Amino acid sequence: MEAEIRNVASGYFEKPKRVRTVSHLPLKALYTPKDVEGFNYELDIADAGKFPYTRGIYPTMYRGRLWTRRVGWGYGTPKDTNQQLKFLLREGNTALTIFPDLELVEGIDPDHPLAKGEVGRVGVAYYSIEDMEEMMEGIPMDKVSMTLLGATCAAPVIFSLYLAVAKSRGIDFSKLRGTTANDPLHSYHCRSKEANPIDLALKTAVDVIEFSTRHVNLWNPISVNSYDMRDLGISAPQEVAFGLAMATAYVRGVLERGLEVDEFAPRLSFYCNAGTEIFEEVAKLRAMRRMWAKIMRYKFKARNEASLKFRFATHTSGSSLTQREPLNNIVRIAYQQLVAVLGGAQSANSCTFLEALSVPTELSQRLALRTQQVLAYETNVPNVVDPLGGSYYVEWLTDKIVEEVMALIQKIDGMTFIGAMKSGWLRKEIEKSAWKQRKDLDSGDRIKVGVNKYVTDEKLEMRLHKTDPGVEKVAVQRVKEFRAKRNNQKTTKALREMKEVAETFRDKWPDSPELMPAIIEAVRADATLGEMMGVMRQTFGFRYNY
Amino acid sequence: MEKILLAKSTLEGHDRGMRTVAQAARDAGMEVIIVRFDTPDEVVKAAEQEDVDIIGISASIGGHDYILSEIVNGLREKKLEHITVIAGGVIPPYDIPDLLNRGVAKVFGPGTSLDEIVTYIRKLDKAKAA
Repeated sequence: MEAEIRNVASGYFEKPKRVRTVSHLPLKALYTPKDVEGFNYELDIADAGKFPYTRGIYPTMYRGRLWTRRVGWGYGTPKDTNQQLKFLLREGNTALTIFPDLELVEGIDPDHPLAKGEVGRVGVAYYSIEDMEEMMEGIPMDKVSMTLLGATCAAPVIFSLYLAVAKSRGIDFSKLRGTTANDPLHSYHCRSKEANPIDLALKTAVDVIEFSTRHVNLWNPISVNSYDMRDLGISAPQEVAFGLAMATAYVRGVLERGLEVDEFAPRLSFYCNAGTEIFEEVAKLRAMRRMWAKIMRYKFKARNEASLKFRFATHTSGSSLTQREPLNNIVRIAYQQLVAVLGGAQSANSCTFLEALSVPTELSQRLALRTQQVLAYETNVPNVVDPLGGSYYVEWLTDKIVEEVMALIQKIDGMTFIGAMKSGWLRKEIEKSAWKQRKDLDSGDRIKVGVNKYVTDEKLEMRLHKTDPGVEKVAVQRVKEFRAKRNNQKTTKALREMKEVAETFRDKWPDSPELMPAIIEAVRADATLGEMMGVMRQTFGFRYNY
Repeated sequence: MEKILLAKSTLEGHDRGMRTVAQAARDAGMEVIIVRFDTPDEVVKAAEQEDVDIIGISASIGGHDYILSEIVNGLREKKLEHITVIAGGVIPPYDIPDLLNRGVAKVFGPGTSLDEIVTYIRKLDKAKAA
């Protein structure tokens, strides 16, 4: 009893231990006009909707259009997922995001030996046109904006599955809205380097961007993913630097194919991390907007205003959530969604408070959506553009992050982003930062409530999602039946044709035809994802069987 | 000196936890080998070849029960039961009793301190010696 009373006394006079950001940027106690002396509002900040868009890419931001509420889901069979997606739409999602399972993104079918134990566990297992049709049952593809996750080298196949179903429904590609995650370079670090060899990764990503630019003009063919890297432990400036540098690698790739920058740049998009340190995160997003605009204008000479706008979606930081006292995560996620909105995101995905325990339940998903809805309708935050703009602190911090990022980008430019990946430099930087974060946590310098402060043995009494082992059996059975009942001659012919196009793609790039049309035809001829990815692996010299 | 094999499936990319454990173990003077495996039997083979004391599996995606039971059984078949199997990652607490029943020695959930893991390995090593 004595110890607790002593604690209260010292708690009353407690001072924060750490007076810097989680990214190790030092903070003063007070920021004044002196700290923003010399800042040029017109050139570096500007009104929202005006270059360099520090305050937001549109003049009215959320007054013109609230951000998209796009909580994602997906696990089990396509039918299960269809139900989940409809649930989310009923509860207030204004668009959809689908989580694929591991096999899918790594490009193997559910009956592959590597797939054992994994099918449909953390995402939905879909690998054929039939599966995609079932998953889209009753969902108007020409009315709902769809984000297809799966950023790996499988992205062109994932996209083709969607397009093939749209085609069979008679929907013109020009009516489709959505995003293909398509960022295999990030997948090399954050997913599996075995399944995302760098050179192939760049080419397939570029192919998706090119095809989409020409044929699916309302679609975002890439979502450059700095989110996963941030969760790997890097700092806020590093997230900006690596994210932007990665994007420039793709831009260069598409330019190599002969497209003009203003043809495709307006539809590039990003996927950023919404972390818990509110002000650093908002400053980070403002910095990212400003720097992207300048990179596009001055480095790539883009002239269309739309090419300069940093369009992004956020995802609340998964790695910040805890298994201990999971209800605390509800609070963390709420702060993180506030970051997304103060930071000017166009679309917001979310973890649920069960993130560190298991896949979401209906209750946790509903709560994730409600969190966004309370923010949207009860706090009045959306009604004024960039409300933190003009704060001496936030303008100073935005500028400080820009400064840190410039130094990093200059370093990376010297190597090129691909060079930085291949030399292992990027991997080393990620590990150094991750180690620093870990040490900060273990030393108590970084506090995690419930983990290294106020630790209890509280157990969450709640119904959690348990994977149904039957899902894998069903998926394996289905794929076998699917292959048996299709016209195998037709399928083999289409796969052969795809192989020819892939070979030309491999040998004559960038002077080769697009790969995606051949993939779409293979999908329509009932090829499975594993078979199509197998053709790609075989053509590019990787093991057929993954 | 303790020799540890840390392993993760090639299907899975979330290796931040595993890498920090590797760093901590190395800092503590332990020998650490990191393996990415396609199938669980590769882990057993590698553990045998490298003559390790402990296998640590990192699993944050979902196949932990299958992978871990395959490895434990594989070790048993090869009479390699002196190798301890531990696990870490995003493993739902309700799965842990089953894993322990199947022969996994300990599961370290998210938020475990590195000190705790290193201390555990040290204690294990001492217990095996005497």
